Amino acid sequence: MQSILAVDDSASMRQMVSFTLKGAGYEVIEAVDGQEAFEKAQTQSVDLVLTDQNMPRMDGVTLVKNLRGLPAYSSTPILILTTESSDEMKSRGRAAGATGWLVKPFDPSKLLEVIRKVIR
Amino acid sequence: MTSDSTERAPHSRQGADPAEECKRIESDLERLKALIGDAGDRLLLSFNQIAALLPQLAATDEERVQVVESVHAAVTALQFQDMAIQLTEHAQRRLSFLEEQLRSQSALGPDGTHSHPTHPVRQFGMAAGSIDLF
Repeated sequence: MQSILAVDDSASMRQMVSFTLKGAGYEVIEAVDGQEAFEKAQTQSVDLVLTDQNMPRMDGVTLVKNLRGLPAYSSTPILILTTESSDEMKSRGRAAGATGWLVKPFDPSKLLEVIRKVIR
Repeated sequence: MTSDSTERAPHSRQGADPAEECKRIESDLERLKALIGDAGDRLLLSFNQIAALLPQLAATDEERVQVVESVHAAVTALQFQDMAIQLTEHAQRRLSFLEEQLRSQSALGPDGTHSHPTHPVRQFGMAAGSIDLF
């Protein structure tokens, strides 16, 4: 079973993401912010990271940068799922090494379509 | 006069301190956040209970497709809680900023303007957002 690390400081968003991913057969590991996600990513391997941008302690773009610094995550797909939709923020995500930028609210069918496209 | 109308805050606040008004609005927004949070949590609880039962109720493939589509639509709509709370927090930050400026009129920058916090939520509805793959 492929595993996905779902990162969001909003409990309701984590619940919606988990519901969608588990329903599609993925194992979901949850983290409440970038810092917790970074710690979990180093102790268990995941096939994809889906992260929010605006979070306490460590934001999504910083998480992407930090994960890309780890050899195990040099090519793991990392998607940012956020309310932020400005071109400037998207450019920052791209420069950090994100695989894609998805604007909330997400449509479960489209989210799963994107995940199937980028996950190995 | 009903008891409800006597509990309402007066609409006219002539002579009220603008900074104090900002503080009151911030407090109202805090209550709004709590209401949205509570409503969202209750909706999520009901959603989870119904979503667990729905697959058993769908007898045909067509019904199953309809159930999945309805559940997906609900998942998209239920994300309002996160977005509404972010938007409310942003409004609180702007009010807090305005309150500070009102309390300290001498805080103008060299160009006579103030910098505002950047806006995290630009959406106007609950239609699904855009997707960019790099």
